Amino acid sequence: MPAGELHTIDQMPRGQRRRVLDLLGNAEFGPMDALVTRRLKELGFLPGAWVEVIGHGFFGRDPVSIRLGGSKFALRRAEARKVRVETAGP
Amino acid sequence: MSSSTLRLALVGNPNCGKTALFNLLTGARQKVANYAGVTVERRSGVFVDGNGRLCEILDLPGSYSLHANSEDEAIARDAVLGGLRGERQPDLMLAVLDATHLHLGLRLVLELKALGRPMVVILNCIDAARARGMVIDAEALSRELDCPVVSTVAITRGGAEQLLAALPAFAPAAQSLLKLTGQSVESLYQEVDRILARVLTDPGRYPVWQDRLDRVVMHPILGVALLATVMLLMFQAVFAWAAPLMEGLTFAVDWLAATTTGMMAAGPLRSLLVDGLFAGVGSVLVFLPQILILFLFIGILEDSGYLARAALIADRTMAKVGLQGKSFIPLLSAYACAVPAIMATRTIENKRDRIATILIAPFMTCSARLPVYILIIAAFIPDRPLVGRLLSTQAGALFGLYILGFLAAAFTARALKSSILKSDRTPFVMELPPYRRPTLRSLGLRLLDRAKVFLRRAGTVILVVAIGLWILAHVPLDHGKAPQIRDSLAGTVGRVVEPVIRPLGFNWKIGIGLITSLAAREVIVGTLGTIYGIENADEESMGLREALRRDLAPGGAAALLIFFAFAMQCMSTVAVVKRETGGWKWPAVQFGYMTGLAYVCAWAANVAVTRWLA
Repeated sequence: MPAGELHTIDQMPRGQRRRVLDLLGNAEFGPMDALVTRRLKELGFLPGAWVEVIGHGFFGRDPVSIRLGGSKFALRRAEARKVRVETAGP
Repeated sequence: MSSSTLRLALVGNPNCGKTALFNLLTGARQKVANYAGVTVERRSGVFVDGNGRLCEILDLPGSYSLHANSEDEAIARDAVLGGLRGERQPDLMLAVLDATHLHLGLRLVLELKALGRPMVVILNCIDAARARGMVIDAEALSRELDCPVVSTVAITRGGAEQLLAALPAFAPAAQSLLKLTGQSVESLYQEVDRILARVLTDPGRYPVWQDRLDRVVMHPILGVALLATVMLLMFQAVFAWAAPLMEGLTFAVDWLAATTTGMMAAGPLRSLLVDGLFAGVGSVLVFLPQILILFLFIGILEDSGYLARAALIADRTMAKVGLQGKSFIPLLSAYACAVPAIMATRTIENKRDRIATILIAPFMTCSARLPVYILIIAAFIPDRPLVGRLLSTQAGALFGLYILGFLAAAFTARALKSSILKSDRTPFVMELPPYRRPTLRSLGLRLLDRAKVFLRRAGTVILVVAIGLWILAHVPLDHGKAPQIRDSLAGTVGRVVEPVIRPLGFNWKIGIGLITSLAAREVIVGTLGTIYGIENADEESMGLREALRRDLAPGGAAALLIFFAFAMQCMSTVAVVKRETGGWKWPAVQFGYMTGLAYVCAWAANVAVTRWLA
């Protein structure tokens, strides 16, 4: 992964574990974007949290299911694109 | 409930075991209704606390935050803030905390604590936490939160007494309309981390078997194969396992009718009881086994944690018609019967997706259409091989009708989701709950609940329709006796509607059948049987087929098939849609749309087939 490139949860392969860097805006949500950001934060997508991809939906790797702390969540691609992760793994 | 009754409310994350606690406290003394003006389910129950006082407890919808993202969460928020229409603010909040999800749960607890209302924290699933090796200091948690903390295992029998004993003495609290505090998520989580550092002496580890299971269940190939197997099994169960039970119920109703016939003198009262009441209510009652089996399956899938995974796997496929993964199971169950399918849409939190799913569910080919399809196909389509021995023309026609229903559903979903039911882009974040063993208690209460809802609501409508139809077929009296069906009010109505349905190739007799089958589709078979004056008319009867061939041209037969594929000929469905959507608007829209579509397509089929044969 070249340095400086944006790396978000939707690009992570199954089994990969990364730390969350921060949450990005996503124009797809329009005026709802701030709300989506808040909800992701509330669920624990905060800087420093570990996320691990555990599976994908049937087509097009969407939605993506991830483990975050003691919980597991499924996110659609648009939500997954909002979560920027560190490029180097553990 | 009088104003001296104490009011408690269970608040907590989805899947935190709130409902299991609720079931434990109230047993079968529960009331399920809707919150005023919305379709969110309101579950309440009563119990007597340790001091012998009557308490009413409300099981608020699961929510992650007081900053609501859905209608469900808005209800929970307004209830605790005291701004929910028609509800008294709870005197005591029972904040349920899943011990294995402390991070997520504690943040909500801190939001609740900031409201400054009386609160008890229930540390639930403490057994699962211990199994993970977690060590939690409940006393330290109580000190940090400055409120009582009770540890429970929601599924054990002794849990209720333990919980009751631990409830503090509390009094009715003054009502006060509260506002949300503007704490940032980051600062709340800092506080959570600070508390957890003191409370969680050992964080334990996520059970490895859960991850292993997920690796199979969400595998790109194995996962889909597993989902297909589960669905086939469910489908088969609803069709095949229910059959003997349905036959048993039919037998019981027939026996009751025969006994009544034997015991009573011939007359209008006997006829009303036997032909109206037993026949009408019996035709609804036979769906009960299908409903219970379907809900047993859904209950197991949901309680075990598999349902969320199934929704995840199906999500993209459903997204193609504008819906989401959670619509998948209700739509599949609609192949058996739309009534339980519509009841099953409650698992869809997004209101617009839920309404869209409810609106398209009756297009799926339900089992009540089968008797009608079989009768008409057998009467009009010669049985010849179509694809060698694999598929005959008759089976092909039946399969074609199944496909037709599916296409109508997909087309309608797309149209709805790109127009009146277009959703805002709301966050699609679904929690995948840990796998758990479903408990018999929870499954039993679910089935009891669904059976009550079905029998009470759909049953009353059918009862009225059945009696109404019977009366219409028996008046006006002809010299003190029931009239010929042609001269009865029903016959008159049939002849009145005849000009409207003639373009479809139907005569007044079919007209009466269409009207009586408004109650339930398969009723048309019995009605036509009565009209043709043929005894023991059922779908296998040769007499009925010949009579139909005399009465209906091939064009009309094709039109009748199409009409039944699309029209909403089912009062139980109308009743259940009214109940689930909380008003007459959606059932009216749905009925109008489906009947209109059925009329136009049936007309086109009549014209096309008649021309093709000419």
